[in-house]
Amino acid sequence: MFSKILIANRGEIAVRVIKTCRRLGIATVVVYSEADADSLAVQMADESVFIGPPPAAQSYLDADKIIAAARQTGAEAIHPGFGFLSEKASFAQRCQDEGITFIGPNPHAIEAMGDKITSKKFAAAAGVSTVPGYMGLIEGVDNAVSISGEIGYPVMIKASAGGGGKGIRVAWSEADVREGFPAVQAEARGAFGDDRIFIEKFITSPRHIEIQVLGDKHGHVVHLFERECSIQRRNQKVVEEAPSPLLDPETRAAMGAQAVALAKAVNYDSAGTVEFVAGQDKSFYFLEMNTRLQVEHPVTELITGLDLVEQMIRVAAGEPLAFGQDDLKINGWAIESRIYAEDPYRKFLPSIGRLVRYEPPREGLTEEGYLVRNDAGVVEGDEISMFYDPMISKLCTWGPSRAAAVAGMARALEDFHIEGPGHNVPFLAAVMDQERFQSGRLATSYIADEFPDGFTGLAPRSEQLDLMTAVAACMHRTLAARAQTAGAGLTPRKMRDDWVVVVGEDVRRKVVLSDGEGALNVDLPDEDRALRLEGVDWRPGRPVFRGVLDGRPFSAEVAPAPEGFVIRHRAAKARVLVLAPLSAELHERLPKKAAADTSKQIVSPMPGLVVALEVRPGQEVKEGETVVIIEAMKMQNVIKAERDGVVKAVGPKAGDSVAADEVLVEFA
Amino acid sequence: MQHILEELQKRRDQARQGGGERRIAAQHAKGKLTARERIELLLDEGSFEEFDMFVEHRATEFGMAEQRIPGDGVVTGWGAINGRVVYVFSKDFTVFGGSLSMAHAQKIVKVQRMAAKVGAPVIGLFDAGGARIQEGVDSLAGYADIFVENVLSSGVIPQISVIMGPCAGGDVYSPAMTDFIFMVKDTSYMYVTGPDVVRTVTNEEVSHEDLGGARVHAGKSGVADGAFENDLEALTQIRRLVDFLPASNREKPPVRESFDDPERDEPSLDTLVPANPNKPYDMKELILKVVDEADFFEISKDWARNIITGFARMDGATVGVVANQPQVLAGVLDIDASRKAARFVRFCDAFQIPIVTFVDVPGFMPGTRQEYGGLIKHGAKLLFAYTEATVPKVTVITRKAYGGAYDVMSSKHLRGDVNYAWPTAEIAVMGAKGAVEIIFRADAKDPAKLAEREAEYKARFANPFVAASRGYIDDVIMPHGTRRRIVRALKSLKNKQVSNPWKKHDNIPL
Repeated sequence: MFSKILIANRGEIAVRVIKTCRRLGIATVVVYSEADADSLAVQMADESVFIGPPPAAQSYLDADKIIAAARQTGAEAIHPGFGFLSEKASFAQRCQDEGITFIGPNPHAIEAMGDKITSKKFAAAAGVSTVPGYMGLIEGVDNAVSISGEIGYPVMIKASAGGGGKGIRVAWSEADVREGFPAVQAEARGAFGDDRIFIEKFITSPRHIEIQVLGDKHGHVVHLFERECSIQRRNQKVVEEAPSPLLDPETRAAMGAQAVALAKAVNYDSAGTVEFVAGQDKSFYFLEMNTRLQVEHPVTELITGLDLVEQMIRVAAGEPLAFGQDDLKINGWAIESRIYAEDPYRKFLPSIGRLVRYEPPREGLTEEGYLVRNDAGVVEGDEISMFYDPMISKLCTWGPSRAAAVAGMARALEDFHIEGPGHNVPFLAAVMDQERFQSGRLATSYIADEFPDGFTGLAPRSEQLDLMTAVAACMHRTLAARAQTAGAGLTPRKMRDDWVVVVGEDVRRKVVLSDGEGALNVDLPDEDRALRLEGVDWRPGRPVFRGVLDGRPFSAEVAPAPEGFVIRHRAAKARVLVLAPLSAELHERLPKKAAADTSKQIVSPMPGLVVALEVRPGQEVKEGETVVIIEAMKMQNVIKAERDGVVKAVGPKAGDSVAADEVLVEFA
Repeated sequence: MQHILEELQKRRDQARQGGGERRIAAQHAKGKLTARERIELLLDEGSFEEFDMFVEHRATEFGMAEQRIPGDGVVTGWGAINGRVVYVFSKDFTVFGGSLSMAHAQKIVKVQRMAAKVGAPVIGLFDAGGARIQEGVDSLAGYADIFVENVLSSGVIPQISVIMGPCAGGDVYSPAMTDFIFMVKDTSYMYVTGPDVVRTVTNEEVSHEDLGGARVHAGKSGVADGAFENDLEALTQIRRLVDFLPASNREKPPVRESFDDPERDEPSLDTLVPANPNKPYDMKELILKVVDEADFFEISKDWARNIITGFARMDGATVGVVANQPQVLAGVLDIDASRKAARFVRFCDAFQIPIVTFVDVPGFMPGTRQEYGGLIKHGAKLLFAYTEATVPKVTVITRKAYGGAYDVMSSKHLRGDVNYAWPTAEIAVMGAKGAVEIIFRADAKDPAKLAEREAEYKARFANPFVAASRGYIDDVIMPHGTRRRIVRALKSLKNKQVSNPWKKHDNIPL
């Protein structure tokens, strides 16, 4: 076994590997860029080595610096994590040549599987079912168009070296290919330095199901069942789970057998993942093999009880697998939600910045019977920087059944409080609350199907209206009682107990408050029922309100508003007022104020750099035409006109930095 | 006897009708509440006691003798905000457009005098059409009577003006002399001369909103200290503000129970100041994490945003917070920022409110616009205000404290009581780059040498320890413990007593 391992990665995965190493008594070294100097990983590792400026190409992707760091610290092995150098065969080879163990598969396996075209040839040879497609090199746009025609639309255009959602597009027509092919090529060149592209059949309403495999250096390969990762946005996984609600034992066994066969065909000797696209009819086709640890590996760990990082380290050290296929069983169900720094209310645009507040749910088995695991590489006060992946953490829950794991995830998300960058917690909560998700009817188009117009939150359900009513009443009572402590004799002897609670724009209800033993009773006289709020864990100024309403534990995000409170429970958010009856009457007397007319402006949805400004004053613009291209988080975001109009004024110039909500273009 | 009681009830009902149902409906349709409705929302339920409900004007010209409405366009009296007495006048737009007659003015003067006598705040709610032209010079005399009370009460009791409708001409000067002006967006405006006169005199075409709307005064002119969405929000927030303030200069600011641990650490403050000295950060995060319950009532939020001013509490006791905002113009002191902070500091000093100052200031703003605008005298206002203030003054330097601006921002040298610095503080005459370019002018053409000198200068001066070694900084503190340290410092200063030499009054560079 190794005595010291270098981790050639950052963020949560670096922390993840350190945790396992600590448990195994292995010393750790992390490398870090300037942007990560104060990171959690650097603080947790036994040693750390500075390797350069923030851009990955000059730090985490620089093999020379990483090898030198290993030499300098005497690390015997390198764990590459995922991304960066993890799937570079040349790096694995380099490690071998330098006498450092690469904790991952052998270079030949990476080479064979790393290229999507070669990998399909291997897969076909190993008897793995594959999607119809063209595996040769594509000469140019015209060639791409004719190949797409032969395969039949829709087709998928994919960068050979792509991954992680980058360098992929779906084309439904020749025009899409003509637009998409050069774009994918450009992205591939920029992101991977490799612009080879392939095209294949696009399966409608497909699901993404992948098999985790594990091999050792002694020819043993097992599979650790499947994960379903169908909840994706722009081909980026958002929610993953294990096992998959689609599979039956036979399909699972068949997929597992194919994955193992493929792994054996390339002498696979580490943890890896064979990705399949599955039809709703349980047909499945090989997509690609990822020759590394996957982001979503924790769900497999939660249902198998194995530590995949530990297994990778053991097999890298030459140990044979300590178990065979028959020893492996699925225990319960696990879900992972990727918490991203992105703004779900603004078309999921990336959002960076300081984590002003970061309060994740407590980890471990809860009293409610679900288990929480949160893999993160950040603490409150850290910066989500523009240089790397905008993932804040990976929140996993486990329960004995899928329903329990889903309910647990919904609860764990309630307890996740983040301030600073925008984040997708409310969106994830919405998914958990959807009947379609709960019943497991998944597809990679899920998000597009369910949120066709983007995400605006969900309207509060009746039990959420109750929750908001009780929470607001409780906060109001606490604050009103305290406000009177500064009084000078004019305070009424008894505080009123009948109030009108207004939730959002439409709901107003009378409440009568009274103390129950350790609880607040909220009578709803007009509805002839009462709510009981107990176990309150909140004080003024705290952004999270925890309590138990009618026996059901909950957490809600609360914030003071100029009047009343803003309360968010899961995906529902509303302003809630607690008013004396006369005040409630006056509130009704005032007409609603019309919102400011912003339809004549296009504002920047995020902070970024203006790459191109495609209109000038006086120009006529049609709805859907590109107006501005803004680069943020290394993604080019095309801002299109949402209506026809004549441009009156243009704010920034190309090359300018713009802030979120800055006016880009004004229409006459 | 019963008959007499009924007569009173009848008269009261009539007075409460104000300008009548039609005008009240028109008021609501404009998104405005009536004078009495506003008072109901401003004060504790049922606490309002009206004065002068039956006052009528005594004018006879232009047919005024036939037009009398009890109350005469303003509702006055007193009541409570969270049990504490306040005096109120609320202009009634439904009665003669809220225009000011002599009788109307005398009603306002009466509450002003009562408030000054008992030591309670005066809150004026404005929604009126100016002078009662029919009364001529009597109306102007009425204005002046109000102005006198405004001036005499200044610094004695808090005076708050809320503009909730039109407020033009002579009407603007009473609010202008009060401590705070708040406005309601879209339904209020304030100007000395209206759009019609502007057009005649300067040929400028401008709307009410663009000339004197809430956004103009809260964001551009700095006349208003805040703007709210509607009457309801405005009145709720005025209640919140009053909770922070002492009733008069004769009493200490109120202390109330705090739900927030005075010893609470905030580990994330240790990473608030970025490694790169040119990178901005949000000073409001520091304020919100340090004060009780993240409760901060900001004054002048949208104007001169390079400096932050507002009220908060530390372990239940009110403090005034002044802080440079590195996120806006790098937190530089310019004309507007100096004026804004100086006025705030003087308010705090007048009402015995301790001042907590957070410093990250690169200096004063250079440029012709600033110099032509009189930066010297405006900057001096803040220097003057901090120096003359005798309330407890606690200062924390988080990063830059350069040059004269270091002196100005409640430094030890201006009688600061407790001056702390974070380890990230850089207390120096200027930034390292600028300094070496002057000191080592000879090396100007040698960038390598200059960089070396810069590093040297940084190591020597870009820290709090030189200042600390002179005793100009009392202690260098851990950012995460800032709340605990400020609470302790304020408690130690609770009985501070300093008095300035006798004078009729000072001569601050206005």
